[in-house]
Amino acid sequence: MANVLLIIFTISLLYLGIAHRLLTYIKILAFQGVLLFGIAFIELIQINIANLTFVLLETVVFKAIVIPYFLNYVIKRNRITRDSEPFLPNFISLIIITLIIIATFILSNAIADDRISKIYFVVALSTLFTGLYIIVTRHKIITHVMGYLVIENGVFILSLAVGNEMPMLVNLGIMLDIFASVFLLGIFVNRIGDVLKDVDVDQLKNLKD
Amino acid sequence: MISFILIIVASIFFTGIIIRTKSITSGRKGPGILQPMKDIFRLFKKGAVYSKTTSFIFQIAPSIYFGSVIMAILVIPFGQYKGIISFDGDFVFFAYILGTGKFFSIISALDTGSSFEGMGASREALFSMFAEPAFFILMGSLALLTGHTSFQQIFASLHFGSYISYVLGVLATFVLVMVSLVENSRMPFDDPKTHLELTMVHEVMILDNSGFDLGMILYATNLKFAMYGALIANLFMGSFPLYLTIPIFFGIQVLYAISVGILESFMARFRMNHNAQYILALSSVSLLIFLGVLLVLGQFS
Repeated sequence: MANVLLIIFTISLLYLGIAHRLLTYIKILAFQGVLLFGIAFIELIQINIANLTFVLLETVVFKAIVIPYFLNYVIKRNRITRDSEPFLPNFISLIIITLIIIATFILSNAIADDRISKIYFVVALSTLFTGLYIIVTRHKIITHVMGYLVIENGVFILSLAVGNEMPMLVNLGIMLDIFASVFLLGIFVNRIGDVLKDVDVDQLKNLKD
Repeated sequence: MISFILIIVASIFFTGIIIRTKSITSGRKGPGILQPMKDIFRLFKKGAVYSKTTSFIFQIAPSIYFGSVIMAILVIPFGQYKGIISFDGDFVFFAYILGTGKFFSIISALDTGSSFEGMGASREALFSMFAEPAFFILMGSLALLTGHTSFQQIFASLHFGSYISYVLGVLATFVLVMVSLVENSRMPFDDPKTHLELTMVHEVMILDNSGFDLGMILYATNLKFAMYGALIANLFMGSFPLYLTIPIFFGIQVLYAISVGILESFMARFRMNHNAQYILALSSVSLLIFLGVLLVLGQFS
Protein backbone atom coordinates (compact mmCIF):
# COMPACT_ATOMS: atom_id res chain seq x y z
CA MET A 1 0.00 0.00 0.00
CA ALA A 2 2.85 2.35 0.82
CA ASN A 3 4.29 1.68 -2.65
CA VAL A 4 1.00 2.80 -4.21
CA LEU A 5 1.13 6.06 -2.29
CA LEU A 6 4.74 6.55 -3.32
CA ILE A 7 3.83 6.10 -7.00
CA ILE A 8 1.04 8.67 -6.61
CA PHE A 9 3.55 10.95 -4.91
CA THR A 10 5.85 10.66 -7.94
CA ILE A 11 2.96 11.50 -10.28
CA SER A 12 2.28 14.58 -8.16
CA LEU A 13 5.89 15.64 -8.87
CA LEU A 14 5.21 15.41 -12.60
CA TYR A 15 2.09 17.51 -12.12
CA LEU A 16 4.17 20.04 -10.21
CA GLY A 17 6.32 20.36 -13.31
CA ILE A 18 3.44 21.38 -15.58
CA ALA A 19 1.38 23.46 -13.12
CA HIS A 20 0.83 27.08 -14.08
CA ARG A 21 -0.76 28.72 -11.07
CA LEU A 22 0.51 29.21 -7.56
CA LEU A 23 -2.80 27.90 -6.24
CA THR A 24 -2.14 24.60 -8.01
CA TYR A 25 1.27 24.42 -6.36
CA ILE A 26 -0.34 24.92 -2.96
CA LYS A 27 -2.92 22.23 -3.65
CA ILE A 28 -0.20 19.80 -4.73
CA LEU A 29 1.77 20.54 -1.55
CA ALA A 30 -1.32 19.88 0.58
CA PHE A 31 -1.98 16.67 -1.32
CA GLN A 32 1.62 15.58 -0.80
CA GLY A 33 1.11 16.19 2.92
CA VAL A 34 -1.88 13.85 2.92
CA LEU A 35 0.10 11.23 1.01
CA LEU A 36 2.97 11.51 3.50
CA PHE A 37 0.44 11.03 6.29
CA GLY A 38 -0.65 7.77 4.69
CA ILE A 39 2.90 6.57 4.10
CA ALA A 40 4.00 7.45 7.64
CA PHE A 41 0.94 5.73 9.09
CA ILE A 42 1.66 2.50 7.22
CA GLU A 43 5.41 2.49 7.80
CA LEU A 44 5.56 3.55 11.43
CA ILE A 45 2.58 1.68 12.86
CA GLN A 46 4.87 -0.34 15.15
CA ILE A 47 6.60 2.52 16.93
CA ASN A 48 5.35 3.86 20.24
CA ILE A 49 2.10 5.72 20.25
CA ALA A 50 3.39 9.13 21.31
CA ASN A 51 5.97 9.28 18.55
CA LEU A 52 3.45 8.06 15.98
CA THR A 53 0.93 10.69 17.00
CA PHE A 54 3.60 13.33 16.71
CA VAL A 55 4.60 12.25 13.20
CA LEU A 56 1.00 12.00 12.04
CA LEU A 57 0.14 15.38 13.51
CA GLU A 58 3.16 16.90 11.85
CA THR A 59 2.20 15.55 8.44
CA VAL A 60 -1.53 16.09 8.46
CA VAL A 61 -1.74 19.32 10.44
CA PHE A 62 1.37 21.14 9.27
CA LYS A 63 2.11 19.77 5.82
CA ALA A 64 -1.49 19.41 4.68
CA ILE A 65 -3.36 22.24 6.42
CA VAL A 66 -1.35 24.98 8.14
CA ILE A 67 1.41 25.57 5.58
CA PRO A 68 -0.85 25.61 2.49
CA TYR A 69 -3.21 27.93 4.30
CA PHE A 70 -0.35 30.21 5.31
CA LEU A 71 1.12 30.26 1.80
CA ASN A 72 -2.29 31.12 0.43
CA TYR A 73 -2.54 33.94 2.97
CA VAL A 74 0.86 35.31 1.99
CA ILE A 75 -0.07 35.26 -1.71
CA LYS A 76 -3.40 36.98 -1.08
CA ARG A 77 -1.96 39.57 1.26
CA ASN A 78 0.96 40.57 -0.96
CA ARG A 79 -1.13 40.46 -4.13
CA ILE A 80 1.43 38.21 -5.75
CA THR A 81 0.47 37.43 -9.34
CA ARG A 82 -1.05 34.01 -9.63
CA ASP A 83 1.18 32.76 -12.40
CA SER A 84 4.28 30.75 -11.50
CA GLU A 85 6.49 32.47 -14.14
CA PRO A 86 9.13 29.84 -14.82
CA PHE A 87 12.36 30.67 -16.65
CA LEU A 88 11.96 27.56 -18.83
CA PRO A 89 8.79 26.40 -20.57
CA ASN A 90 6.81 23.82 -18.65
CA PHE A 91 7.31 21.37 -21.48
CA ILE A 92 11.05 21.28 -20.77
CA SER A 93 10.37 21.10 -17.02
CA LEU A 94 8.32 17.97 -17.58
CA ILE A 95 11.07 16.34 -19.63
CA ILE A 96 13.70 17.26 -17.05
CA ILE A 97 11.65 15.92 -14.13
CA THR A 98 11.08 12.68 -16.02
CA LEU A 99 14.82 12.47 -16.67
CA ILE A 100 15.45 13.10 -12.96
CA ILE A 101 13.21 10.16 -12.06
CA ILE A 102 14.92 7.87 -14.57
CA ALA A 103 18.38 8.99 -13.42
CA THR A 104 17.62 8.33 -9.75
CA PHE A 105 16.17 4.95 -10.71
CA ILE A 106 19.36 4.00 -12.53
CA LEU A 107 21.49 5.43 -9.74
CA SER A 108 19.74 3.42 -7.04
CA ASN A 109 20.04 0.30 -9.16
CA ALA A 110 23.73 0.95 -9.48
CA ILE A 111 24.17 1.33 -5.74
CA ALA A 112 22.55 -2.08 -5.08
CA ASP A 113 22.83 -1.99 -1.30
CA ASP A 114 20.59 -4.26 0.74
CA ARG A 115 20.26 -1.84 3.60
CA ILE A 116 18.36 0.82 1.68
CA SER A 117 14.77 0.38 0.56
CA LYS A 118 14.99 1.08 -3.17
CA ILE A 119 11.58 2.55 -3.92
CA TYR A 120 11.82 4.95 -0.98
CA PHE A 121 15.29 5.92 -2.08
CA VAL A 122 14.19 6.62 -5.66
CA VAL A 123 11.15 8.65 -4.66
CA ALA A 124 13.03 10.61 -1.99
CA LEU A 125 15.96 11.43 -4.23
CA SER A 126 13.79 12.44 -7.19
CA THR A 127 11.69 14.61 -4.87
CA LEU A 128 14.86 16.30 -3.61
CA PHE A 129 16.12 17.02 -7.11
CA THR A 130 12.71 18.16 -8.31
CA GLY A 131 12.56 20.61 -5.43
CA LEU A 132 16.00 21.91 -6.33
CA TYR A 133 14.97 22.20 -9.96
CA ILE A 134 11.86 24.17 -9.02
CA ILE A 135 13.92 26.54 -6.89
CA VAL A 136 16.37 27.09 -9.71
CA THR A 137 13.88 27.70 -12.50
CA ARG A 138 11.20 29.89 -10.92
CA HIS A 139 11.18 33.65 -10.59
CA LYS A 140 9.41 34.34 -7.35
CA ILE A 141 10.48 34.01 -3.75
CA ILE A 142 7.20 32.31 -2.90
CA THR A 143 7.94 29.52 -5.40
CA HIS A 144 11.40 29.16 -3.87
CA VAL A 145 9.72 28.49 -0.53
CA MET A 146 7.51 25.93 -2.22
CA GLY A 147 10.52 24.23 -3.79
CA TYR A 148 12.11 24.17 -0.35
CA LEU A 149 8.99 22.48 1.05
CA VAL A 150 9.19 19.87 -1.71
CA ILE A 151 12.78 19.19 -0.67
CA GLU A 152 11.57 18.81 2.92
CA ASN A 153 9.05 16.24 1.75
CA GLY A 154 11.88 14.36 0.09
CA VAL A 155 13.91 14.38 3.30
CA PHE A 156 10.85 13.15 5.17
CA ILE A 157 10.45 10.20 2.79
CA LEU A 158 14.14 9.40 3.09
CA SER A 159 13.83 9.33 6.88
CA LEU A 160 10.77 7.08 6.58
CA ALA A 161 12.88 4.62 4.63
CA VAL A 162 14.92 4.09 7.77
CA GLY A 163 11.63 2.86 9.22
CA ASN A 164 11.08 2.14 12.83
CA GLU A 165 14.48 3.38 13.93
CA MET A 166 13.62 6.90 12.89
CA PRO A 167 14.86 9.02 15.76
CA MET A 168 12.78 11.75 17.28
CA LEU A 169 15.55 14.20 16.42
CA VAL A 170 15.03 13.84 12.69
CA ASN A 171 11.39 14.68 13.24
CA LEU A 172 12.13 17.72 15.28
CA GLY A 173 14.70 18.85 12.75
CA ILE A 174 12.24 18.58 9.89
CA MET A 175 9.58 20.44 11.75
CA LEU A 176 11.93 23.21 12.82
CA ASP A 177 13.16 23.54 9.28
CA ILE A 178 9.65 23.97 8.01
CA PHE A 179 8.82 26.46 10.70
CA ALA A 180 11.94 28.47 10.07
CA SER A 181 11.65 28.49 6.31
CA VAL A 182 7.99 29.27 5.97
CA PHE A 183 7.64 31.75 8.77
CA LEU A 184 10.90 33.59 8.21
CA LEU A 185 10.45 33.73 4.47
CA GLY A 186 6.80 34.60 4.95
CA ILE A 187 7.79 37.61 7.01
CA PHE A 188 10.58 38.35 4.58
CA VAL A 189 8.16 38.25 1.68
CA ASN A 190 5.74 40.40 3.65
CA ARG A 191 8.39 43.08 4.10
CA ILE A 192 9.38 43.06 0.48
CA GLY A 193 5.78 43.01 -0.58
CA ASP A 194 5.06 46.06 1.57
CA VAL A 195 8.13 48.07 0.67
CA LEU A 196 8.85 47.30 -2.96
CA LYS A 197 5.34 46.24 -3.96
CA ASP A 198 6.93 43.44 -5.94
CA VAL A 199 8.53 40.16 -4.99
CA ASP A 200 10.52 39.32 -8.07
CA VAL A 201 14.00 37.97 -7.28
CA ASP A 202 15.42 39.82 -10.26
CA GLN A 203 14.91 43.09 -8.41
CA LEU A 204 17.37 42.03 -5.73
CA LYS A 205 20.09 42.50 -8.35
CA ASN A 206 19.50 46.24 -8.26
CA LEU A 207 20.37 46.46 -4.56
CA LYS A 208 23.61 48.37 -4.01
CA ASP A 209 25.34 49.69 -0.93
CA MET B 1 -14.32 -12.87 -34.59
CA ILE B 2 -16.44 -12.20 -31.53
CA SER B 3 -14.50 -9.06 -30.72
CA PHE B 4 -15.06 -7.68 -34.23
CA ILE B 5 -18.84 -8.17 -34.04
CA LEU B 6 -19.08 -6.74 -30.52
CA ILE B 7 -17.00 -3.66 -31.42
CA ILE B 8 -19.26 -2.98 -34.41
CA VAL B 9 -22.31 -3.29 -32.15
CA ALA B 10 -20.76 -1.00 -29.54
CA SER B 11 -19.78 1.58 -32.18
CA ILE B 12 -23.45 1.97 -33.15
CA PHE B 13 -24.53 3.43 -29.83
CA PHE B 14 -21.23 4.86 -28.51
CA THR B 15 -21.39 8.47 -29.80
CA GLY B 16 -25.12 8.51 -29.09
CA ILE B 17 -24.44 7.86 -25.42
CA ILE B 18 -21.82 10.63 -25.31
CA ILE B 19 -24.26 13.12 -26.86
CA ARG B 20 -27.08 11.99 -24.58
CA THR B 21 -24.87 12.41 -21.49
CA LYS B 22 -23.90 15.90 -22.60
CA SER B 23 -27.57 16.81 -23.17
CA ILE B 24 -28.67 15.51 -19.79
CA THR B 25 -25.91 17.34 -17.91
CA SER B 26 -26.87 20.58 -19.65
CA GLY B 27 -30.55 20.09 -18.79
CA ARG B 28 -31.87 19.04 -22.21
CA LYS B 29 -33.49 15.81 -23.26
CA GLY B 30 -31.24 15.42 -26.26
CA PRO B 31 -31.49 13.34 -29.44
CA GLY B 32 -31.96 9.59 -29.43
CA ILE B 33 -29.08 7.19 -28.92
CA LEU B 34 -29.11 6.18 -32.60
CA GLN B 35 -29.16 9.73 -34.03
CA PRO B 36 -25.42 9.87 -34.97
CA MET B 37 -25.82 6.60 -36.88
CA LYS B 38 -28.87 7.98 -38.69
CA ASP B 39 -26.83 11.03 -39.70
CA ILE B 40 -24.07 8.79 -40.98
CA PHE B 41 -26.55 6.73 -43.03
CA ARG B 42 -27.95 9.92 -44.50
CA LEU B 43 -24.40 10.86 -45.55
CA PHE B 44 -23.83 7.38 -46.98
CA LYS B 45 -26.75 7.87 -49.36
CA LYS B 46 -25.20 11.01 -50.83
CA GLY B 47 -22.54 11.41 -53.46
CA ALA B 48 -19.28 13.25 -52.79
CA VAL B 49 -18.22 16.60 -54.23
CA TYR B 50 -14.52 17.07 -54.98
CA SER B 51 -12.74 20.36 -55.34
CA LYS B 52 -10.89 20.91 -58.63
CA THR B 53 -7.60 21.65 -56.87
CA THR B 54 -7.46 18.23 -55.23
CA SER B 55 -5.78 15.18 -56.68
CA PHE B 56 -6.66 11.48 -56.41
CA ILE B 57 -5.16 11.36 -52.91
CA PHE B 58 -8.03 13.38 -51.56
CA GLN B 59 -10.46 10.85 -53.05
CA ILE B 60 -8.81 7.68 -51.78
CA ALA B 61 -7.76 8.99 -48.34
CA PRO B 62 -11.12 8.59 -46.53
CA SER B 63 -11.37 4.99 -47.70
CA ILE B 64 -7.83 4.26 -46.54
CA TYR B 65 -8.52 5.92 -43.19
CA PHE B 66 -11.67 3.85 -42.73
CA GLY B 67 -9.89 0.71 -43.86
CA SER B 68 -7.02 1.30 -41.45
CA VAL B 69 -9.42 1.55 -38.52
CA ILE B 70 -11.14 -1.68 -39.61
CA MET B 71 -7.74 -3.40 -39.90
CA ALA B 72 -6.81 -2.19 -36.43
CA ILE B 73 -10.06 -3.60 -35.04
CA LEU B 74 -9.25 -6.99 -36.55
CA VAL B 75 -6.29 -7.49 -34.18
CA ILE B 76 -8.21 -6.63 -31.00
CA PRO B 77 -8.81 -9.81 -28.99
CA PHE B 78 -11.73 -10.56 -26.70
CA GLY B 79 -10.38 -11.81 -23.38
CA GLN B 80 -8.89 -15.20 -24.18
CA TYR B 81 -10.42 -15.33 -27.68
CA LYS B 82 -8.15 -14.21 -30.47
CA GLY B 83 -8.96 -11.43 -32.84
CA ILE B 84 -9.29 -12.30 -36.53
CA ILE B 85 -5.60 -11.53 -37.04
CA SER B 86 -3.22 -12.43 -34.24
CA PHE B 87 0.53 -12.78 -34.29
CA ASP B 88 3.53 -11.91 -32.13
CA GLY B 89 4.04 -8.19 -31.86
CA ASP B 90 0.66 -7.26 -33.25
CA PHE B 91 0.38 -4.22 -31.02
CA VAL B 92 3.08 -2.62 -33.17
CA PHE B 93 0.95 -3.47 -36.22
CA PHE B 94 -2.07 -1.97 -34.42
CA ALA B 95 -0.31 1.32 -33.72
CA TYR B 96 1.18 1.70 -37.18
CA ILE B 97 -1.88 0.70 -39.18
CA LEU B 98 -3.66 3.51 -37.33
CA GLY B 99 -0.63 5.67 -38.12
CA THR B 100 -1.01 4.88 -41.82
CA GLY B 101 -4.64 5.95 -41.78
CA LYS B 102 -3.72 9.12 -39.94
CA PHE B 103 -0.92 9.83 -42.44
CA PHE B 104 -3.35 9.60 -45.34
CA SER B 105 -5.90 11.82 -43.64
CA ILE B 106 -3.10 14.36 -43.02
CA ILE B 107 -1.85 14.40 -46.62
CA SER B 108 -5.40 14.59 -47.93
CA ALA B 109 -5.92 17.66 -45.74
CA LEU B 110 -2.73 19.16 -47.18
CA ASP B 111 -3.90 18.22 -50.66
CA THR B 112 -6.84 20.61 -50.52
CA GLY B 113 -4.47 23.59 -50.44
CA SER B 114 -6.45 25.32 -47.70
CA SER B 115 -4.25 27.02 -45.10
CA PHE B 116 -6.64 26.10 -42.29
CA GLU B 117 -6.47 22.44 -43.17
CA GLY B 118 -2.68 22.47 -43.28
CA MET B 119 -2.65 24.01 -39.80
CA GLY B 120 -5.03 21.38 -38.46
CA ALA B 121 -2.97 18.63 -40.07
CA SER B 122 0.20 19.93 -38.45
CA ARG B 123 -1.45 19.97 -35.03
CA GLU B 124 -2.90 16.51 -35.46
CA ALA B 125 0.51 15.16 -36.45
CA LEU B 126 2.17 16.82 -33.45
CA PHE B 127 -0.35 15.54 -30.92
CA SER B 128 -0.31 12.00 -32.28
CA MET B 129 3.47 12.06 -32.21
CA PHE B 130 3.44 12.85 -28.49
CA ALA B 131 0.75 10.27 -27.74
CA GLU B 132 2.62 7.45 -29.45
CA PRO B 133 5.42 6.89 -26.88
CA ALA B 134 2.77 6.70 -24.15
CA PHE B 135 1.00 3.85 -25.95
CA PHE B 136 4.22 2.00 -26.75
CA ILE B 137 5.73 2.27 -23.28
CA LEU B 138 2.42 1.09 -21.82
CA MET B 139 2.09 -1.93 -24.15
CA GLY B 140 5.80 -2.66 -23.80
CA SER B 141 5.57 -2.78 -20.03
CA LEU B 142 2.47 -5.00 -20.20
CA ALA B 143 4.40 -7.29 -22.55
CA LEU B 144 7.29 -7.32 -20.10
CA LEU B 145 4.91 -8.09 -17.23
CA THR B 146 3.28 -11.05 -18.97
CA GLY B 147 6.18 -12.26 -21.10
CA HIS B 148 4.11 -12.35 -24.30
CA THR B 149 4.04 -9.97 -27.25
CA SER B 150 0.63 -10.40 -28.89
CA PHE B 151 -2.51 -8.66 -27.70
CA GLN B 152 -4.40 -11.88 -27.05
CA GLN B 153 -1.60 -13.51 -25.02
CA ILE B 154 -0.92 -10.32 -23.08
CA PHE B 155 -4.55 -9.87 -22.08
CA ALA B 156 -5.20 -13.56 -21.45
CA SER B 157 -2.26 -13.89 -19.08
CA LEU B 158 -2.67 -10.51 -17.42
CA HIS B 159 -3.68 -11.42 -13.92
CA PHE B 160 -3.82 -8.96 -11.10
CA GLY B 161 -1.89 -10.88 -8.50
CA SER B 162 -0.57 -8.32 -6.06
CA TYR B 163 -2.00 -4.97 -5.05
CA ILE B 164 0.67 -3.08 -6.98
CA SER B 165 -0.57 -4.58 -10.24
CA TYR B 166 -3.99 -3.08 -9.47
CA VAL B 167 -2.32 0.31 -9.43
CA LEU B 168 -0.68 -0.54 -12.74
CA GLY B 169 -4.11 -1.51 -14.10
CA VAL B 170 -5.66 1.76 -12.98
CA LEU B 171 -2.77 3.77 -14.42
CA ALA B 172 -2.93 1.78 -17.67
CA THR B 173 -6.65 2.53 -17.93
CA PHE B 174 -5.98 6.21 -17.36
CA VAL B 175 -3.27 6.32 -20.03
CA LEU B 176 -5.41 4.39 -22.52
CA VAL B 177 -8.41 6.67 -21.97
CA MET B 178 -6.30 9.77 -22.46
CA VAL B 179 -4.54 8.33 -25.54
CA SER B 180 -7.94 7.50 -27.01
CA LEU B 181 -9.11 11.07 -26.38
CA VAL B 182 -6.02 12.39 -28.18
CA GLU B 183 -6.48 9.97 -31.08
CA ASN B 184 -10.17 10.82 -31.42
CA SER B 185 -9.56 14.56 -30.95
CA ARG B 186 -12.00 14.87 -28.09
CA MET B 187 -12.53 17.42 -25.40
CA PRO B 188 -9.52 18.16 -23.21
CA PHE B 189 -7.28 18.29 -26.29
CA ASP B 190 -9.67 19.38 -29.00
CA ASP B 191 -13.24 20.60 -29.01
CA PRO B 192 -15.37 18.70 -31.55
CA LYS B 193 -18.12 21.32 -31.31
CA THR B 194 -16.01 24.40 -32.01
CA HIS B 195 -17.06 26.67 -34.86
CA LEU B 196 -13.81 28.57 -35.39
CA GLU B 197 -11.41 27.06 -37.90
CA LEU B 198 -8.40 28.56 -36.13
CA THR B 199 -8.99 26.50 -32.99
CA MET B 200 -9.98 23.22 -34.61
CA VAL B 201 -7.70 20.23 -34.86
CA HIS B 202 -9.49 17.27 -36.37
CA GLU B 203 -12.62 19.00 -37.65
CA VAL B 204 -10.69 21.44 -39.81
CA MET B 205 -9.02 18.54 -41.63
CA ILE B 206 -12.33 17.20 -42.88
CA LEU B 207 -13.88 20.52 -43.91
CA ASP B 208 -13.66 19.69 -47.60
CA ASN B 209 -14.93 16.14 -47.33
CA SER B 210 -18.56 15.65 -48.13
CA GLY B 211 -21.20 13.00 -48.61
CA PHE B 212 -20.01 9.41 -48.56
CA ASP B 213 -16.42 10.30 -47.62
CA LEU B 214 -17.54 12.38 -44.65
CA GLY B 215 -19.81 9.55 -43.55
CA MET B 216 -16.88 7.15 -43.60
CA ILE B 217 -14.68 9.51 -41.58
CA LEU B 218 -17.42 10.07 -38.99
CA TYR B 219 -18.13 6.37 -38.67
CA ALA B 220 -14.39 5.68 -38.33
CA THR B 221 -14.42 7.97 -35.28
CA ASN B 222 -17.20 5.89 -33.71
CA LEU B 223 -15.30 2.72 -34.49
CA LYS B 224 -12.12 4.12 -32.96
CA PHE B 225 -13.95 4.93 -29.73
CA ALA B 226 -15.42 1.43 -29.53
CA MET B 227 -12.00 -0.01 -30.35
CA TYR B 228 -10.25 1.78 -27.50
CA GLY B 229 -13.17 0.86 -25.24
CA ALA B 230 -12.57 -2.76 -26.17
CA LEU B 231 -8.86 -2.43 -25.36
CA ILE B 232 -9.72 -1.00 -21.94
CA ALA B 233 -12.32 -3.72 -21.36
CA ASN B 234 -9.69 -6.34 -22.24
CA LEU B 235 -7.58 -5.15 -19.30
CA PHE B 236 -10.31 -6.34 -16.93
CA MET B 237 -11.61 -9.47 -18.67
CA GLY B 238 -8.84 -11.93 -17.90
CA SER B 239 -9.96 -15.49 -18.62
CA PHE B 240 -13.54 -15.32 -17.41
CA PRO B 241 -16.15 -17.38 -19.35
CA LEU B 242 -18.06 -15.75 -22.18
CA TYR B 243 -21.32 -15.11 -20.31
CA LEU B 244 -19.38 -12.89 -17.90
CA THR B 245 -17.10 -11.12 -20.39
CA ILE B 246 -19.85 -9.86 -22.72
CA PRO B 247 -21.64 -7.94 -19.91
CA ILE B 248 -18.23 -6.67 -18.72
CA PHE B 249 -17.48 -5.51 -22.27
CA PHE B 250 -20.72 -3.58 -22.68
CA GLY B 251 -20.61 -2.27 -19.13
CA ILE B 252 -17.14 -0.81 -19.69
CA GLN B 253 -18.12 0.62 -23.08
CA VAL B 254 -21.13 2.40 -21.58
CA LEU B 255 -19.12 3.59 -18.57
CA TYR B 256 -16.40 4.88 -20.89
CA ALA B 257 -18.93 6.71 -23.09
CA ILE B 258 -20.61 8.28 -20.05
CA SER B 259 -17.29 9.38 -18.57
CA VAL B 260 -16.26 10.96 -21.89
CA GLY B 261 -19.61 12.79 -21.95
CA ILE B 262 -19.18 14.02 -18.38
CA LEU B 263 -15.59 15.07 -19.10
CA GLU B 264 -16.77 17.06 -22.12
CA SER B 265 -19.58 18.72 -20.17
CA PHE B 266 -17.59 19.89 -17.18
CA MET B 267 -14.10 20.53 -18.49
CA ALA B 268 -12.73 23.34 -20.59
CA ARG B 269 -10.32 22.43 -23.34
CA PHE B 270 -6.62 22.91 -22.72
CA ARG B 271 -4.92 25.88 -24.26
CA MET B 272 -3.55 24.90 -27.63
CA ASN B 273 0.06 25.75 -26.83
CA HIS B 274 -0.12 23.78 -23.58
CA ASN B 275 -1.52 20.65 -25.20
CA ALA B 276 1.87 19.17 -26.04
CA GLN B 277 3.07 19.15 -22.44
CA TYR B 278 -0.13 17.55 -21.16
CA ILE B 279 0.16 14.82 -23.77
CA LEU B 280 3.82 14.31 -22.95
CA ALA B 281 2.83 13.91 -19.28
CA LEU B 282 1.05 10.73 -20.38
CA SER B 283 4.38 9.34 -21.55
CA SER B 284 5.87 10.15 -18.17
CA VAL B 285 3.02 8.35 -16.42
CA SER B 286 3.47 5.30 -18.62
CA LEU B 287 7.17 5.44 -17.83
CA LEU B 288 6.16 5.16 -14.17
CA ILE B 289 4.12 2.09 -15.14
CA PHE B 290 7.26 0.69 -16.73
CA LEU B 291 9.27 1.31 -13.54
CA GLY B 292 6.41 -0.28 -11.55
CA VAL B 293 6.56 -3.36 -13.77
CA LEU B 294 10.29 -3.61 -13.15
CA LEU B 295 9.47 -3.45 -9.45
CA VAL B 296 6.89 -6.24 -9.72
CA LEU B 297 9.21 -8.44 -11.72
CA GLY B 298 12.00 -7.99 -9.19
CA GLN B 299 14.39 -6.65 -11.79
CA PHE B 300 14.62 -3.77 -9.41
CA SER B 301 15.27 -5.72 -6.21
